[in-house]
Amino acid sequence: MPPEQDLPLTSRGGAEVICHRPAGPVTIRRFLGEAAALARRLPASGHAVNLCADRYRMLLGFAAALLRGHPTLLNADPSPHRLQALAAAYPGTYLLADTPIATALPLVPVGEEQAVDGLGEPPRIPAGRVVAIAFTSGSTGQPTAHPKPWGALVAAALAAAERFGLRPEDGPPSSVLATVPPQHMYGFETTIMLPLQAALACHAGEAFFPSDVLDALDALPPRRLLVTTPLHLRALLAEGRRPAPLSAVISATAPLAMSMAEAVERDWGVPMLEIYGASEAGSMASRRTAFEPDWLPYRGIRMGQGEVEVPGLGAVPLADATEPAPGGRFRLLGRRADLVKLGGRRASLAELNRLLAEVEGVEDGVFVAPEDIERNPAARLSAYVVAPGRSAEEILSALRLRLEPVFLPRPLVLVPALPRNGLGKLTQAALAELRMAAAGP
Amino acid sequence: MPDGTTTSTISATGLLPQELEVAQLIVSALSLEVAPEEIEPEAPLFHDGLGLDSIDALELALAISKAYEVKLRSDDERNHRIFASLRSLTAHIEKHRAR
Repeated sequence: MPPEQDLPLTSRGGAEVICHRPAGPVTIRRFLGEAAALARRLPASGHAVNLCADRYRMLLGFAAALLRGHPTLLNADPSPHRLQALAAAYPGTYLLADTPIATALPLVPVGEEQAVDGLGEPPRIPAGRVVAIAFTSGSTGQPTAHPKPWGALVAAALAAAERFGLRPEDGPPSSVLATVPPQHMYGFETTIMLPLQAALACHAGEAFFPSDVLDALDALPPRRLLVTTPLHLRALLAEGRRPAPLSAVISATAPLAMSMAEAVERDWGVPMLEIYGASEAGSMASRRTAFEPDWLPYRGIRMGQGEVEVPGLGAVPLADATEPAPGGRFRLLGRRADLVKLGGRRASLAELNRLLAEVEGVEDGVFVAPEDIERNPAARLSAYVVAPGRSAEEILSALRLRLEPVFLPRPLVLVPALPRNGLGKLTQAALAELRMAAAGP
Repeated sequence: MPDGTTTSTISATGLLPQELEVAQLIVSALSLEVAPEEIEPEAPLFHDGLGLDSIDALELALAISKAYEVKLRSDDERNHRIFASLRSLTAHIEKHRAR
């Protein structure tokens, strides 16, 4: 789309519901009035760090900043160190928060806003304007910024709505419950952008523990969508209580084990979908994991060699290697940096992890390359595996059928859980600790 | 909670029997390298104290649910009050556990 084209903040009707709060549903009309009220309290210019945990307040803050032309910095880390770093990099940085926070930066508390009238039609925003900035941690520890033009976010939301049946013409409106924070790109796309652009309302409250998630789903109206991660899914499945009827479960941030995808399909009787995305490019593709090995790109997404063409963003480098698959789909070959070479043979750690996840009884697992892999010809991979009730020997036997012998892990260490972070990812630091622990005293 | 003044302490850090039981649950559920009886009853479980994180919170919620049929919730002000220390977590479990 041309960058000078204006796209509305929301294309939804004033009486439609954008968010379910404990006090009741909030309509688009009221939301726009309250966002206009909050916008009046913002500084004249600057960048907004929106720390709100309540999704409705996150939405209000994002819209209010948009109305004033301020980009929102997608950061959930309230540590003074991180906030000062953002303030140093972005002129006029101020905070939007719904809980008390000790800070020297300008702070605009977001609470119960009194709606103001006179907004009329939803405002229109130039497609090329950067309205949000996402951050990736980066291997050096210095976060990398990824600017998001409004047109790219809207295009991604419309493509997701088409993919998941969330367009107005697809049926009654849906409601989404997410276990991921709205400041993370995955949570931002699914619980901030989708309620603005698709026939869907988000659940406002925090849902973290299995009980929270199950109770919150009970309270939501039907056509419920659960947006979550493998980590939360594992806890939810272990809880044993069947959730309220769902239209779909969506997982992202880390590869979903085949056993979990099958358990959700079987025990909950609901499609278990997976999104392939990255903070740099946003969501790019999806698949129904238990039935589809390959990923179907969103409308407008074009997978290339080492990069992806994203509407509104252009060409974005990809950390993953892909290859075309039948039906316009693609196969994920793994992270480029994850390619390992042993005994003259090449493999991707991500692919090895996928094969490991397919072994019966394996709930979670990861292959780890030793630090000296490039220089030690005798180097071996190790693997850390969560597989209650299975022995290392049994898993190794299963792996032997799937892998080149050179890639068999030495050792294969059974562990009760992997040190995944709050988004289900294994950081380099956590992997290094695993390696150290395996090396022994 | 029973009357702490009449219960003999059985750990170096002065844990009550119920606290030691919950400490054992924490150590086994999270595979910590610390001995249960060495956990300070009033020290924070998260961040500075035992150094637990949000993943541990999920694991711990599962273990507590299985052992005591007590369901933790975010609206219990999860990281602030209940998880503030071993003592506060034990008190919460004692108050809500199935009899």
